[in-house]
Amino acid sequence: MTDKSASRAPAKDLAPAPAPAVAASPGRSGEGTAWLLITPGVIWMTLFLVAPILMIVYVSFWTQTTFAINPTPTLDSWRDFFTSSTYLNSLWTTVRIWLIVLAATLLVGYPAALFIGIFVRSRNLSIALLIICVIPFWTSFLIRVLAWRPMLGREGAINILLQKFGITSAPIDVLLFSQLSVIIGMTQIYVVFMVGPIAFMLSRIDRNVLEAARDLGAGFGRIFTRIILPLSLPGVVVGSIFVSVMVLGEFATSAALSGRQVNLLGNIIVTQVGSLKWAFASVVGVVLTVIIGIVIAMLLRVVDLKREL
Amino acid sequence: MESRILKPILGVYLALFILFLYGPFIVLGILSFQAGPDGGPQFPIIEWSTYWYRHLFGMTEVTRVAPLHLREALFRSLTLAFMTMVTATVLGVISAQAFRRRFRGSGVVFYLIVLGMMVPGVLTGLGISLLSSELGISRSWWGTAFVAHVVYTFPFAFLVMLAIFNRFDPSVEEASWSLGVSPIRTFRKVTLPIVFPGVLSSMLFAFTLSYDEFPRTLFASGSDLTLPRTIYATFAVEIHPNIFAFGVLTTLFSFALLTVFGILLYLSTRRAKKIARQEDI
Amino acid sequence: MSDASPVLRLEGVVKRYGDVPALDGVSLAVQGNEYVSLLGPSGSGKTTLLRVIAGFEVPDAGRVHFNGHDVTGQPPHERGIGFVFQNFALFPNMSVLQNVTYGLINADKGAVSPAEAERRALAMLEMVGLSGLEGRSTDQISGGQKQRVALARTLVKGPKLVLLDEPLGALDANLRARMRNELRSIRQELGVTFLHVTGSETEALAMGDRVAVLDRGRVLQIGAPDTVYHAPETPNVARFLNRYNLFAGTIPAQGQFAGPFGTVSTPPARPADEALYGIRFDRMIVEPENPAAPAPALHATFRASEYLGSSVVSFFEGEDGRIVETEHHMSMGAPPEFLTGQRYTLRWDPDHAIVFGQSAAG
Repeated sequence: MTDKSASRAPAKDLAPAPAPAVAASPGRSGEGTAWLLITPGVIWMTLFLVAPILMIVYVSFWTQTTFAINPTPTLDSWRDFFTSSTYLNSLWTTVRIWLIVLAATLLVGYPAALFIGIFVRSRNLSIALLIICVIPFWTSFLIRVLAWRPMLGREGAINILLQKFGITSAPIDVLLFSQLSVIIGMTQIYVVFMVGPIAFMLSRIDRNVLEAARDLGAGFGRIFTRIILPLSLPGVVVGSIFVSVMVLGEFATSAALSGRQVNLLGNIIVTQVGSLKWAFASVVGVVLTVIIGIVIAMLLRVVDLKREL
Repeated sequence: MESRILKPILGVYLALFILFLYGPFIVLGILSFQAGPDGGPQFPIIEWSTYWYRHLFGMTEVTRVAPLHLREALFRSLTLAFMTMVTATVLGVISAQAFRRRFRGSGVVFYLIVLGMMVPGVLTGLGISLLSSELGISRSWWGTAFVAHVVYTFPFAFLVMLAIFNRFDPSVEEASWSLGVSPIRTFRKVTLPIVFPGVLSSMLFAFTLSYDEFPRTLFASGSDLTLPRTIYATFAVEIHPNIFAFGVLTTLFSFALLTVFGILLYLSTRRAKKIARQEDI
Repeated sequence: MSDASPVLRLEGVVKRYGDVPALDGVSLAVQGNEYVSLLGPSGSGKTTLLRVIAGFEVPDAGRVHFNGHDVTGQPPHERGIGFVFQNFALFPNMSVLQNVTYGLINADKGAVSPAEAERRALAMLEMVGLSGLEGRSTDQISGGQKQRVALARTLVKGPKLVLLDEPLGALDANLRARMRNELRSIRQELGVTFLHVTGSETEALAMGDRVAVLDRGRVLQIGAPDTVYHAPETPNVARFLNRYNLFAGTIPAQGQFAGPFGTVSTPPARPADEALYGIRFDRMIVEPENPAAPAPALHATFRASEYLGSSVVSFFEGEDGRIVETEHHMSMGAPPEFLTGQRYTLRWDPDHAIVFGQSAAG
């Protein structure tokens, strides 16, 4: 231990670590006080988050009758899920839409983050640009979804513009109420969550390193693949976790923009609950939970976040 | 130098990107001024009018376009957002305060809290409605939906406060104790004023996230509609520009909130800026 | 040292962080109206000691008695012990005046009315020389002024004991010298006991009525500054004073020491684990090189010197490569001129030496 740290650090840095809980240090919140303070939060999350999720797992094994469920254990709902092509299709659709939207947010968002994080020299300007990108996050999610309808429809803004500039002769139907519209909508809504973390990681790169690499004759491609990309990877992972969690749990965008063409697992849950098929909805819920768990675990494999952040 | 070419290209790209983010809004805003009651939710604009705004407030004659029942929904949404804001911020502050000292199980507790923002709303909502019906508790926006909203927003408040406390110098608290002031009063008189910008940010997060929250509310709020559920109800039917007008108003409301927040934050950090200026001189 | 019973009494205080003992059985008594400086290198546990006395940390063993009561388990706000932090720890959300009235108005016990608090605070601010700055915010004043606010805020409560944790550490050299005098005079005026922790031997010797030397969580020596200065009791005290050239060697017989300067007769050795010969910088005599000089004589090369205002310290490199320092006080006349790289012979009166260790014989 260096001299400096030994005299001051015990008080500030070392103290919280293994200090034996001798009658919780008065004044300074000791371990007892800490537990007292954390208890309301822990109780809240246990009762209203953990218990409900366990309830979903439990109910997925209940018996479903036409309008009710009863706790007689059965695997019927699970069998129904894995034997119905509708539901397996929906599972596949969910995974497919997730992968496409994830790729789209990355492709669309990365260059924007690159410009904000690396190419803008003024720190104030780059913060301002980031704020401009984040502001829509604070407006109504459903309105943002809905706003795509007059954009993409047969008589929507995009079709009008395309025809006006003579790019197309007839309106394109496939823009709205299709898988494409769902993808466009989700990309626009969730791309912010990709741009933010990536821009943050990029802005932490020391500009001098980039200058030095350039002075040594490295082209941008080489600087990008050797320095920028690896250093931004934690941002990509964080952004991917945000986007994945949100897209996998989605149902509103597809409800609003797909015209019932795209049925995600979330949509199945909503319709099943609507027709009081609680046990079945629970099966879908458990499947969704498992998928999300796997996706997050995989993403965390890519980068050790604790070390990088 | 390649970046001389790349930089303008990326600059143009960012402009297009921002257009992509805001474009639908702009179109929605334009179409909200469509003529009524016969103008549809698409171009061209037949005639500029504020008909759909008046329609929202029930100031037009009854037509085939059913009015949105916004007043009760707005009341519920604002009340719910307020309740959520207070509860989530209090929980966030005291939990982050607990995390200033490491305690046994702190790792597990951290993940337990953060889980609240990671679990999709559709799952939280489904789980809470299952649990409440099992326990015989009827669902309501002020009960089941409220607890679901706090589950969602509390982690945001917690993380904000955690970041704030990381930069907090604990010696001012010790100084206060050594002056004979009890820890509780110290927290109120010294700690809280210093971390207030963080509290403000937590409140903003909790309020806006709750105000816009939809999937949890859909499952957990019972029969009474909140604003987002009113909007969602229009998804299934033919839409009219009144919903666009409403979109413009609620967006303006969000911006107003952001502005108020910005002003409050500016006022509470002006002192900090003064420090920087003083030290420059 | 007027009061008979000590204001503060520590009995075998132990504090560990994990397996690392920060305080390893500290016992100490501090009288009323006394200025005690606590000298220790970084890592000696001196800050931890202050924090235990203040109540910010609870000791693993031992007792803390303050004002005749055992306060070991008492929370800090019930103790009535003042604390001045190195970084001042002013309340950034309050003005200068509010910082000083805060403790009077918000105290759990003995709170006073705001008007009375303001009256006392203004008087205290005048005493520390801050009149006119009451309305300033804490970021609109200089470091020295912050120091005074921190002091006023603590003293206005009328504590019997004030703990100062390297209070001058954050100030520049000029200010430090001025604040030293002021701290002393303010303390004398109020008759309060100061326990002042510092890593600077000059500060410790200059300010304390008594100096306690702390090392690795133990008190090595406590006494009047001149006693500690002239007669360090252990090798480490001599080291921390930073005024002694210390030579390792052997003690062939009682009253003798064999070192790099030859074998000389010495005053009686103080018991210690290592055999060490110490001679103060200002006792050194520099002579032109003389290979035939009788012991004690050290042949060394002049490297550099440093003017400290009232004295000049010169650095010589011995034959074993170790640096030996000499100090010449200006009051003794103009300093001699040495040539860099030139060899000299360093000598001293062997009666001035301090010897630690046990004779090899037993």
